[in-house]
Amino acid sequence: MKTIIAISAVILAIAFTACNSGSSKQTNNADSTQTQAVATTATSATNKTNPFEGILTGYLNLKNSLAADNGNDAAKSGQEILDALSKFDASALTPGQKKVFLSLVGDIKENSEHINENGNKIEHQREHFEMLSKDMTDLVKSVATNKTLYLDSCPMYDKGNGTWLSETKEIKNPYLGKRMDTCGAIKETIKN
Amino acid sequence: MNRIKKILLVLLVAFIAIQFVQPARNTSVHVLSTDISKTISVPENVHAILQTACYDCHSNNTSYPWYNYTQPAAWILANHIKNGKKDLNFSEFGSYPKRRQQSKLKAIADQVRDGEMPLYSYSIIHKNARLTKEEKLVIINWAQNEKDSLGKINP
Repeated sequence: MKTIIAISAVILAIAFTACNSGSSKQTNNADSTQTQAVATTATSATNKTNPFEGILTGYLNLKNSLAADNGNDAAKSGQEILDALSKFDASALTPGQKKVFLSLVGDIKENSEHINENGNKIEHQREHFEMLSKDMTDLVKSVATNKTLYLDSCPMYDKGNGTWLSETKEIKNPYLGKRMDTCGAIKETIKN
Repeated sequence: MNRIKKILLVLLVAFIAIQFVQPARNTSVHVLSTDISKTISVPENVHAILQTACYDCHSNNTSYPWYNYTQPAAWILANHIKNGKKDLNFSEFGSYPKRRQQSKLKAIADQVRDGEMPLYSYSIIHKNARLTKEEKLVIINWAQNEKDSLGKINP
């Protein structure tokens, strides 16, 4: 009798962990079906606002949330970028722009997803923000925006590899946050 | 008591029954042309660490442990491998766009440095997947250097 109880307890424990890992998988699936659904409607929609501005706005919100050390808001901005990406109509781009966009879109999506899923791990969000910033910089240089942007960098984060785009001249460091929020300098001004 | 006995018996029967539902195995002897070792420079010592500590979940070829023959352990494992390969598959590294390759190399360095990878739960059972400080440094330096040289070719 005792052995049966012991065996059953082990089975229950294993089954329980299996259920847990199953549920986290489901959310991933939901994400991918959602983006697929929106992608199909993108061509028919004629938005007044340029959806590229949506991607950029999401990115700038993300940058400001990270500078304020707010991981939860950063996660929401990650979703903002994903939403804008799925509405983006690449057919309006010139062939050259399209090539740049297609080479970056997968990486932008993946980095945004990680930022969206890690609201409680701000340092992890910042690691993904670094690559996302590189992608966004290449994108704004190729696809025009009517905003003037500043490319900033800080030598104190990842040996100066940590760059970011900002809509203001004032430095607000998204990598170090309040610890060292004025670290950095304008490397380049991007005007279109 | 009799009722408890019945419930336990049902559970035991269920446990035996699920043993027959085996998930597909993630094994492939072919090294694809998209394998990371054929895409970028992977020194022997780096490749050895990747194979023992990473390839089980991040490649098309898992070296399965004994408990993979019991359910639901094998199901959990299959799920881990599925998710692991979705995020990073060393066997198909060469098929990623260049920017994604750079992102992945950066993520490898970051995750190993932060102690996020290899997964703690994985290294409990797989003792040789526990990386020493030196091994971690080897991986981090390699990933960073490779990322930088990819960046120089494709800025």
